[in-house]
Amino acid sequence: MATMHVNGERHEAPDNRRNLLSYLRYDLGLTGTKYGCGEGLCGACTVLVDGQPLKACLSTVGSVAGGQVTTIEGLANDGELHPVQQAFLDETALQCGYCIPGFIMTAAGLLDRVSHPTREQVREALAENMCRCGTYLRIERAVISAAEIANE
Amino acid sequence: MSEQETGGLVIQGPAALNFPPPSTGYARSAYGNVTPDFGPAPWVSVRPNGHVRVFAGKVEYGQGIRWGLAMAAAEELRVPLDVVEVVLGDTDRTPWDMGTFGSQSTRYTGVQVRKAAATARQALLVAASTTLDLPVEQLRCEGGAVTSASDPARTVSYAELVREHPGVRDLLEDVPVTPASDFAVMGHDTGRVDALDRVTGKAVYSQDVRRPGMLYAALLRPPSYGARLVSVDDTAASHMPGVVQVVQDGPVVGVLAESDEQAELGLSVLQAEWEERDDHISQWDLPAALAEHPHDPVTIQDDGDPERGLQRAAHTLEATYYIPYVSTVPMEPRAAVAEWDGDHLTVWAGTQRPFGIRGELAADLGIDESQIHVIAPELGGGFGAKSIYRPAFEAARLARTAGRPVRVAYSRQEEMAWTTFRPAALITIRSGFASDGALLAWDFNAIHTTTDRPMIGQRGSESPYTAPDRKVVVSSGPAPLRPGSYRSLGGAVNHFAREVHMDEIAQALSMDPVELRLKNLEDRRYRRVLETAAESFGWEPHTPGSGRGHGVALGWDVGSYAAECVEVRVRGKEVSVDRVSSAIDCGLVYNPEGIRNQMEGSIVMGLGTALYEGAEFEGGRLLNGSFARYRVPRINNVPDMDVAIVGDDNEPPTGAGEPGIVPIAPAIANAVYDVTGTRLRELPLQRHL
Ligand code: FES
Ligand code: FES
Repeated sequence: MATMHVNGERHEAPDNRRNLLSYLRYDLGLTGTKYGCGEGLCGACTVLVDGQPLKACLSTVGSVAGGQVTTIEGLANDGELHPVQQAFLDETALQCGYCIPGFIMTAAGLLDRVSHPTREQVREALAENMCRCGTYLRIERAVISAAEIANE
Repeated sequence: MSEQETGGLVIQGPAALNFPPPSTGYARSAYGNVTPDFGPAPWVSVRPNGHVRVFAGKVEYGQGIRWGLAMAAAEELRVPLDVVEVVLGDTDRTPWDMGTFGSQSTRYTGVQVRKAAATARQALLVAASTTLDLPVEQLRCEGGAVTSASDPARTVSYAELVREHPGVRDLLEDVPVTPASDFAVMGHDTGRVDALDRVTGKAVYSQDVRRPGMLYAALLRPPSYGARLVSVDDTAASHMPGVVQVVQDGPVVGVLAESDEQAELGLSVLQAEWEERDDHISQWDLPAALAEHPHDPVTIQDDGDPERGLQRAAHTLEATYYIPYVSTVPMEPRAAVAEWDGDHLTVWAGTQRPFGIRGELAADLGIDESQIHVIAPELGGGFGAKSIYRPAFEAARLARTAGRPVRVAYSRQEEMAWTTFRPAALITIRSGFASDGALLAWDFNAIHTTTDRPMIGQRGSESPYTAPDRKVVVSSGPAPLRPGSYRSLGGAVNHFAREVHMDEIAQALSMDPVELRLKNLEDRRYRRVLETAAESFGWEPHTPGSGRGHGVALGWDVGSYAAECVEVRVRGKEVSVDRVSSAIDCGLVYNPEGIRNQMEGSIVMGLGTALYEGAEFEGGRLLNGSFARYRVPRINNVPDMDVAIVGDDNEPPTGAGEPGIVPIAPAIANAVYDVTGTRLRELPLQRHL
């Protein structure tokens, strides 16, 4: 059994070996976290664990036991969008949107560590996230402007 | 249609629009017998609360159709965007639709929604004239109400009007729609209407659909293409924890379990015996197989006599180009959930053809279409390929046997190996030209791996360059991998050969490639996109091989014109594309921000096919069916891009989702030649550098 907090709520996962992505999506119904490859190669499944981006598809619930897990559903604070979410809206940084939760979580993790990332730092942090619709430039602009919103 | 939906003022009109499409008969030739339903069906309703609802059988895969249709309705009804709800791709609720492909959404559906909304506006004005006791000419619609032009105090809201005058009206074909010069919403940059759900994780895609009592399926896949199942032993699998049933229904064998992981584990101990074929064509043998076995040639262009033209021309060139299979790679692997209620079936499937899939399900299951309800949730990318949607059939069969809802969700590997590919092609071009660059003869011979769907290879094969003697022939050839749709179908493939060849002519004549193209283009719209892209790029005339790393190409698709200029650097085997200047002419512009987004997306996708992407296969097995070995563009591969939109308002709106991909691969290949002096006629470039 693994106990953790997901978006601030306490949960007990019965089986330590359960895949974290499956657990979040199908047991808790948090389907905002996406499956894209199951191999750690696309970033669609990125969540924050204790504030750090983690690819849920490669983790088990046991490995995050005791941790604070944040998914895209838990990022907004009391109905107020996280600066990264707001910036993605402002820049129309999305097409189909399937990759977007993963990008937003990775970017939110980056802004926690680096308050004014350069373009190169943004690219490096997001290099493992894949967007087949090719909205990368807008995503990059959104993350940089999110840093500005956050620092206002 | 439920009472809840028919309340208020409903505008109904013909459903199957423009079927089959003018020149191509696309859906019919692509998908066999499609039975259109011509309607009438509801297109727009003004709800008792004054909100507006739009119905369309199209689906949203990121192209922004919901956004575009909401803008059209908001424009004609003079309401804010946020009171417009758009219902898409649902066979019980929306008008019949052939499918979302060929960039037809704005062209036909958008126009229909505008007319329906304008009809509603007219009906509201007439109703208000009774309520307010004023002639219609003195009334205007504004902010969800009808108001006297002279006395703003005399006003009545849409909500009141439709509660007093509910009913169903017929769409007026000749209703005046708002002219482009008066647009207040369309043609302007507005926030995308469905973006909030996408940044908060609320948008529901096929992979996200869950139903009470739903079982998770893991499907048995053959070890190689075309293998025949000899026997299955499910003794061990059916005793695995969580496994409820192992179902074999015709060609579909699935392990059904209470969770996705249990289904996977069950599948891993399922014993199956296969008979494999031994006549597979590998990637290495494919170019030769195409050259040797073309069939069903179709003549696309036939002017004069190219043989004669080639003999007369001062200069001639001949070159052969090879474009490999490409995987589509939507971010969301296909998934479907099927649920039976007696003999009535509901399927959630993110397909580009919900109505087509309904018909095919009926045939496959031996039931009537009226017993089937297909709902298309959000699509996590489609690019044409999700017209074909097998998991809907697999889920329906498994759920029928199981007696519980069943979810079939493809893994990335299944999505790569067991869906479709953009066909490969071998293209030979012979050209003859004068010393001043005038093209005299053009002989274009393409063989695409298209088998039963030859129109994929034909798209974009016509040459826009004038020449007295011109022949374009497209044939089909052996197809070891299953062909399917892709952004621009074979358009980008044919453009690659043609536009690289134009660069080779410029090189042979020591001419500037922009100048050479302009010399041979009559159509003003081609000339304008080319000149615009060259100007925004800061193109300096030069002969290919200048060392700058600049390349250019142009093209057309779905009625629109596009040109792109690129700058590259090459270090060892790594090509970096630093910037792209593009221009598009897609006629009247409804949604400039949507067009820019689509152009950028097309450029990035085409960059992948230019540099990295190609399916590898041998012995009937896909070798690079994982992101570990199938590289697609990432954020650090993306160039700076600018997009110029240059269409005229009096031209009808044409597609913007695909034209951007057709010039990009040849422009990059030409730029790589410009800097390296190595002419690459085979994609992906990085494999051949
Ligand atoms: S699904 Fe986890 S990285 Fe792709
Ligand atoms: S928006 Fe579609 S994959 Fe990124």
